[in-house]
Amino acid sequence: MIIRHADKIQSPQRIQQSFETLGYICSDSIATAVYLACQLQKPILIEGPPGVGKTELAKKTAEYLNAELIRMQCYEGLDEAKALYEWKYGKQLLYTQLLKDQLGDVMRGAKGLDESVSRLHQFGDIFYSEEFLETRPLLQALKSEDGAILLIDEIDKADQEFEAFLLEMLSDYQVSIPEIGTIKAKSKPIVMLTSNNTRELGDALKRRCLHLYIPFPEPELEQRIISSQVPELKADLREQLVNFVAELRELSLKKTPAVSETIDWARALVLLNTEELDRDFVEKTLNLLLKFQEDIEQVTPEIHQLLSDSKSSLRRRAKKS
Amino acid sequence: MQKPLGDFIHVLREHGVPVSPAESLDAMQATRLIGIAQPQLLCSVLGMTLAKTQDHLLVLEALFDQFFQRNDLVILDNQDEAHEEMSSTDTPETTEAQSSEDDPPTPNNNDAQTAAADASPLGQQLMDNEQAALSVAIAAAGAQTGVQKMQAITQQSQVAYRIMQEIGGQALSQELLELSEMPDQATRFNELKRRQQQLQQQVREYVEQQYLLFTLPKGQQLRTKNLQRVKLTNVDHHYQAQMGQLIQKAAKKLASMHSRRRKVSKRGILDVRRTIAANAAYDGLLFHTKWKTTRIERPKVLVLCDVSGSVSRVARFLLLFLHSLQDVLPKVRSFVFASDLGEVTELFERLPVEDALAEIMQQWANRPTDYGRALEDFKRLALDDLDPKTTVIMLGDARNNQSDGRTDIWQQVYQRSQRVLWLNPEGRFSWDSGDSIMGEYAPYCSKVEPCNSLNDINRILNSLLKHG
Repeated sequence: MIIRHADKIQSPQRIQQSFETLGYICSDSIATAVYLACQLQKPILIEGPPGVGKTELAKKTAEYLNAELIRMQCYEGLDEAKALYEWKYGKQLLYTQLLKDQLGDVMRGAKGLDESVSRLHQFGDIFYSEEFLETRPLLQALKSEDGAILLIDEIDKADQEFEAFLLEMLSDYQVSIPEIGTIKAKSKPIVMLTSNNTRELGDALKRRCLHLYIPFPEPELEQRIISSQVPELKADLREQLVNFVAELRELSLKKTPAVSETIDWARALVLLNTEELDRDFVEKTLNLLLKFQEDIEQVTPEIHQLLSDSKSSLRRRAKKS
Repeated sequence: MQKPLGDFIHVLREHGVPVSPAESLDAMQATRLIGIAQPQLLCSVLGMTLAKTQDHLLVLEALFDQFFQRNDLVILDNQDEAHEEMSSTDTPETTEAQSSEDDPPTPNNNDAQTAAADASPLGQQLMDNEQAALSVAIAAAGAQTGVQKMQAITQQSQVAYRIMQEIGGQALSQELLELSEMPDQATRFNELKRRQQQLQQQVREYVEQQYLLFTLPKGQQLRTKNLQRVKLTNVDHHYQAQMGQLIQKAAKKLASMHSRRRKVSKRGILDVRRTIAANAAYDGLLFHTKWKTTRIERPKVLVLCDVSGSVSRVARFLLLFLHSLQDVLPKVRSFVFASDLGEVTELFERLPVEDALAEIMQQWANRPTDYGRALEDFKRLALDDLDPKTTVIMLGDARNNQSDGRTDIWQQVYQRSQRVLWLNPEGRFSWDSGDSIMGEYAPYCSKVEPCNSLNDINRILNSLLKHG
């Protein structure tokens, strides 16, 4: 990766502050991880529950460093042809059809099979050159002149074989294409892998990466995130909202609400001009926070309790300060 | 910085965090980048480079606090500065030279010194309250006396004494003795005495901390290793929780190994020979494609566990293991018996494994064994479900209290199923002794094996999955 302004990655603090101006409020450890990834040229493996901003981190890093973001979404059955390269079969067929006459000219006068074949050999592997190579995300990232940010999203969804295939790419920044040879990165991309931990990743992969775990944010941090994303929301309402969500996370739910859900909810509050979190409003909009009917059914009878809890913790803090 | 970091990594490995050399190098580079001025930052950086799961991160954070206490970071700083000041080659000798300068000279010189001046170097340091220098001295002396190689808890006081000697404790005592004879120096005497006690306390704490870091985990490692081999009937109640974890771990390993094979079986390559043969009827046009695939059947497993007396312990672990294998063995039916036999599959589906086991033990165990009666029940419940794809596993010692063993039913079971495994928790020598009728059942088993350790269970289930 060629970073045009080296001072941008001078220190973790600098990165943290700059991310804030871009609207991404992050903890110290996140900033440190990005700093180390840039300085040591190592991939980062980002783990954490869904919705805490794993993918967003890659996007913001790309924005901050003015680099191209290349994203590869993983899924079961993903293979080399979709991740690395494929030959443009259609184009190859079309060209052979078009060049049929030309070929006829070339072959004219050749005696016997041997001579024909040796004449064909003179032209090299035209149909297996870079002209006919369809680049897929991984190859694109390696061929990028200035280096890019490569986001390999949800690596845990891909098969184990694909994980093994990534190893060469992650440690040496090169891949092998049998017909052409080894392709080395022009300048090393910054690689970010995200995982939701649906499957345990291999040790070999983990060993090659820096490991960053993003948990649900602390209430203070979450408030700052909300205030940067939804600045229209009033401060006391914001605090109550964050406390309410924090209480929800304590319950054993099928899917715990993440930061992105809190932001959605805050937007809804602003849109509906709500002055205060009351039972009626919460009941109506609970489906923004909880994505399973069972969860909603579990929480609905307890809304009153949760609301008073979140208020009392608000009051406690007010007393303290 | 290299030495302490290396030690820290060593400690991590002792506590079960697998750190590879490549990761150590990363950690070294990262530490060089961010410096050691901010312990919090250092901790998170080491966490990113060395710990690769949430569990390991927790271990690392706990150890970090223990290992790099505030003082130690000061030491690191000092050492680094020392290196810079010396600005000579970066060899370990430099550090040693430096620290031996900090250290008081040998007691022989000391005597002369104490005679001339009134303070020993250690006493001087104590009075000047040079905490950092003292910590350096203690650490250096600790390295020399081999504090990291302690074997037992009883060695602690001995090592502490040696460290005191190493940093010049003798000279200090000498000085105290002299001071006690001078009445005008009483305040200085008292002060120095107090500080000496403080220092001794500090040394003892240092030794204990080192013991906790280096020696204790070795014993634990040894214990887990032994637990895998030890006879299940002899496992102390105290270790059962730990056994549970081991079983989960082994089951996970087996499951991942075999689920991978199943995935491979779903793919295939074109079987040219069979394709051509199949398409001969279409004038050689390849119309129907045939694929080479490996077929791996999911074994249908029925397990019968004797839960009476001594067998019940092994049964516990076997059931626990089998039901931890849900991913690769979804079709396990479990039966337990002492005299009556009952199916408990549904119990495992409904309750967490531990609770289910507790319930089974309470409901079925503690009755005299009657294999004949149990087999009659089994015939009624499940004989019709046996087919040539079924594997039947029986776990029991075949001690039947002199009653009829109903081997005829067992023969039917053997004829109808693919394989019949009999696992006996007793060793081969005690089979057929006393009221054991193992010999009567043995002809109707594909295999009879002694099974009395975690390793045995693991091996048997592995072969079951492979050939199933």
